[in-house]
Amino acid sequence: MARERGDILKDLMDGVFLMDEALVIKAANEVVEAKYDAYDAINNGLIAGMNQAGVLFDKEEYFVPELLICSDAMYAGIEILRPHLKKSDAHEKHKVVIGVVEGDTHDIGKNLVKIMMDAAGFEVHDLGRNVPLASFVEKAKEVGAKLICLSTLMTTTMDGMATVIEMLKEEGIRDSYKVIIGGGPISQAFANKIGADGYADNAAGAIKLSKSLLAQAAA
Amino acid sequence: MNTTAAIPADTQGSLERVLCYLKGEKPQRVACFPLILNHAARVLGVPVGVYNRDGKVMGKAHVAAFRRYGNDLILIFSTTSTLAEAMGTKMKFFDEDAPQIEEPFLKQHSDISKLKLPDFSKDGRLPVYMEATEICVKEVGSEVVVSTVFGGPLTTAAALYPVELLTRDMIKNPAWVHELLEICTQAGIKFIDEILKRGALPIIVEPIGSGSLVSPRHFKEFVAPYLKRLADHVHKTGGGMPAVLHICGKTTPNFKAMLEADFDIWSLDACDLGEAKKVAGHRVALVGNVIPANLLKNTPEEIDAEAREICEKMGDKVGFILGSGCEVPINTPPENIDALINAARKYGRYDS
Repeated sequence: MARERGDILKDLMDGVFLMDEALVIKAANEVVEAKYDAYDAINNGLIAGMNQAGVLFDKEEYFVPELLICSDAMYAGIEILRPHLKKSDAHEKHKVVIGVVEGDTHDIGKNLVKIMMDAAGFEVHDLGRNVPLASFVEKAKEVGAKLICLSTLMTTTMDGMATVIEMLKEEGIRDSYKVIIGGGPISQAFANKIGADGYADNAAGAIKLSKSLLAQAAA
Repeated sequence: MNTTAAIPADTQGSLERVLCYLKGEKPQRVACFPLILNHAARVLGVPVGVYNRDGKVMGKAHVAAFRRYGNDLILIFSTTSTLAEAMGTKMKFFDEDAPQIEEPFLKQHSDISKLKLPDFSKDGRLPVYMEATEICVKEVGSEVVVSTVFGGPLTTAAALYPVELLTRDMIKNPAWVHELLEICTQAGIKFIDEILKRGALPIIVEPIGSGSLVSPRHFKEFVAPYLKRLADHVHKTGGGMPAVLHICGKTTPNFKAMLEADFDIWSLDACDLGEAKKVAGHRVALVGNVIPANLLKNTPEEIDAEAREICEKMGDKVGFILGSGCEVPINTPPENIDALINAARKYGRYDS
């Protein structure tokens, strides 16, 4: 006999949050077998667990290794549940383009932001690392993103962020997008200098910033 | 603001100034270590890609940078992956930037059996580093401390095996990570021997141990014990040389754990240096920490103000060395490096 929905969801949440991928897989399969709602299980189980992990990351109790393993568990559960989503579960999501600017291959910071954005319900278009600057603009236009997130760890490539903003201006579409930046050498002062819409110094901060900017844009 | 008139002249040489720290005496003013690495190529007027691959050019570039700026420490360096490169990781080279990792040597856990300690006479660009070190020691070693920088065990491990997988393995396969760190530590000990043999100071850089990446618990398990073996080796064989550790990025969460590694000098990046002094000042001399991006972007007046604030934060300034938090960006305007060193002359006096 199937367990209660609440018990299974708790396992999904705890499995992500406590880095127990095996528990997540077992619970996700239970959801499928019991024909519980997959959308509910993803949101109130897996993503709730990932957001709890994000809170600990913000408090410096979890660090990069912990967050990566939590996300592995979350994605393992999503893999199992995704085929069981109903058509009516498809909601319009905020679209985001993210990547590490050209000349830089350090992408851990960007990947963490991507994970937390997935968990926060954004539709993330990840261009990867060492991304040609024009690609950010092209991709944002193509998918209809409202938010562009630029990352770099290096001082040699930070000027590329200003170039992306210039490209938007040249095309006369600067006001259609919010641009946020982050990475080791980046500061609020630099963000102000190049006319970015915001700066965050960690993954959790980037999510808060994105939400507030998109709320502003919608208002 | 015209501050040139107010800069007290140095009557003490660079080497003498730095030796004061080691002898526990007060120098005339605080020393200044702008971490001039690849920027040295700019001073000599050669492409960074040439500097990186030619030991003579690398050595001459650092001699030229010392002559130009009067920095109190020469640092021979190209990337934090140099040991890993010598052990098989493939790098991609650029004309005007430092090389970056193209393909880590280890593709899967079992590849560890193929990993060998590097031969310093031929593997990777180790011969470039060795030649550059020899040139600097020969040409300016009587005037300034010459150091050669290499990646610590975790940083080397993260250049041999993709860092995203390595960090996961700290939780999932800790025994394998320890096995890899053991090899990286042995390579580091060899590096120390080769540098000491050439009369230079080995400096260990461990950015992957930054508080941005690993927790204090993981620092104690995967970073501190291996770093300590390197520090112990310098203490045992260095003839009085200090053990020096640089960690880029955020370090505040790991200060206490870092103490366990038993280094004498910490060069720190994104943190409050005053906090570091509170936790470690009784044991460790501190280098830092003007923000590197500010060196690239700000005016000399702004650099002066930032450096002044750091000097004031350090109170009695005992065991304090003014510096940049991390590498001086390649295209930093020279007048900003001058401003940083002049700030040590102005605000780093012990008699004021």
